[in-house]
Amino acid sequence: MPDLVLSPTDFVALVNQTLEFAYPNVIIEGELSDFRVSKNRWVYFSLKDDVSSVQFFGTVYQLPGPLEDGLNIRVVGMPRLHHKFGFSINIVSLSPVGEGSIKKAADLLRAKLEAEGLFAQERKRTLPTYPETIGLITAGGSAAYADFIKILDERWGGAEIQFIDVYVQGEQAAGQIVQAIEHINQLAEPPEVLVITRGGGSAEDLNAFNDERVVRAVASSRIPIVVAVGHEVDESLAELAADMRASTPSNAAQIVVPDKHHELSHLKIKRQGLMQDLIDLYEDASQGLTADREYLTSQVFRLFEIEHERLLANRRLSTLFDPSAALRRGYAIVRQGRQIVTKTGQTKAGQGLDVQLSDGKLNVKVNKVITDD
Amino acid sequence: MIEAKKSYRQMNEQLAEILAWFESEQVDLDEAVAKYEQAIKLLGEMETYLKTAQNKVKKIAAKTA
Repeated sequence: MPDLVLSPTDFVALVNQTLEFAYPNVIIEGELSDFRVSKNRWVYFSLKDDVSSVQFFGTVYQLPGPLEDGLNIRVVGMPRLHHKFGFSINIVSLSPVGEGSIKKAADLLRAKLEAEGLFAQERKRTLPTYPETIGLITAGGSAAYADFIKILDERWGGAEIQFIDVYVQGEQAAGQIVQAIEHINQLAEPPEVLVITRGGGSAEDLNAFNDERVVRAVASSRIPIVVAVGHEVDESLAELAADMRASTPSNAAQIVVPDKHHELSHLKIKRQGLMQDLIDLYEDASQGLTADREYLTSQVFRLFEIEHERLLANRRLSTLFDPSAALRRGYAIVRQGRQIVTKTGQTKAGQGLDVQLSDGKLNVKVNKVITDD
Repeated sequence: MIEAKKSYRQMNEQLAEILAWFESEQVDLDEAVAKYEQAIKLLGEMETYLKTAQNKVKKIAAKTA
């Protein structure tokens, strides 16, 4: 179309149409330079190599975390010709590449989030001992999923697992994991604990677990979270933000549920303890009864003894008043007719009296009455 | 009325209450026998639960933004 004359706007539209058709998406990897953020929202930077430099444009919401010049970055984007600012690539997603850059980006993010207190120990919540519902975010069909479920089933039963299938690596992973965390948190009946897990992989495979959006979603979950990424190098930032980290998917299952075999042996011990409690109670009660019986018996004996003492005392007393005892000792009872004579005035000379002795009576006559002064 | 199926946690809480009761001072023997029977029944239910209960996976889809 050599003769076709276009207006600048038409030309921009034509180029963009062509670009959309020929390069709907491009993936470019290079060294980050001229990185800047405008109005806390817009992101501009270039990726360069020894010869060329390409400009990019996007928003802060697409960043996996803080970035700085010099990092190796991979961007998925759409090439566009802007009607005023010229050519740039609109960012779809971006991530650091290469171990060094990934580590550097993670360090930058770690420092930022640490300063915000996202990893603080006091933010960590305790997990429920016997969870009845467990949220699970991982890749369905993965070894991580299979391991987690296998160990969970071996250790515990009766729990409902609310599972969301996500990508755990690749450009969609971070977005999907964030969405899954938010979705589970918004459920009318959310699970009591949430597990996010994947198996090991290269530093690049684990990018999603060092993505600022994922780390923040983990930190802001209302449900306690266990993050388990099977790898041996440094902990991912999502693990640092979690309430608890586990080393592998199997380890996550070990952390979220108790072992039913241990539980069964604890129950056995409790059963024996209870039986012993009851036996002790019976023994205490029967010892109490024996003590009561002994006390009662001793009380009755004591009453008998008191009564016996009283009887003896009465008997001794009664002998003092027994007149026949006095008669045996030499005293006599003097009577005149039926009247007992106790004073000289009651009789006179010539009168007859009866004198009773211990073994009989004397009939005597009074010769003379002598009254003491 | 049929009693709703108890969760392991509920049963464990009930058992803990009974065990604590036995630890307390001055327990009545008649009541102790009743509590003991209740505990033995609970223990049986808990053992059955541990031996038979199965986990259930329910796949849910996250809403797409």
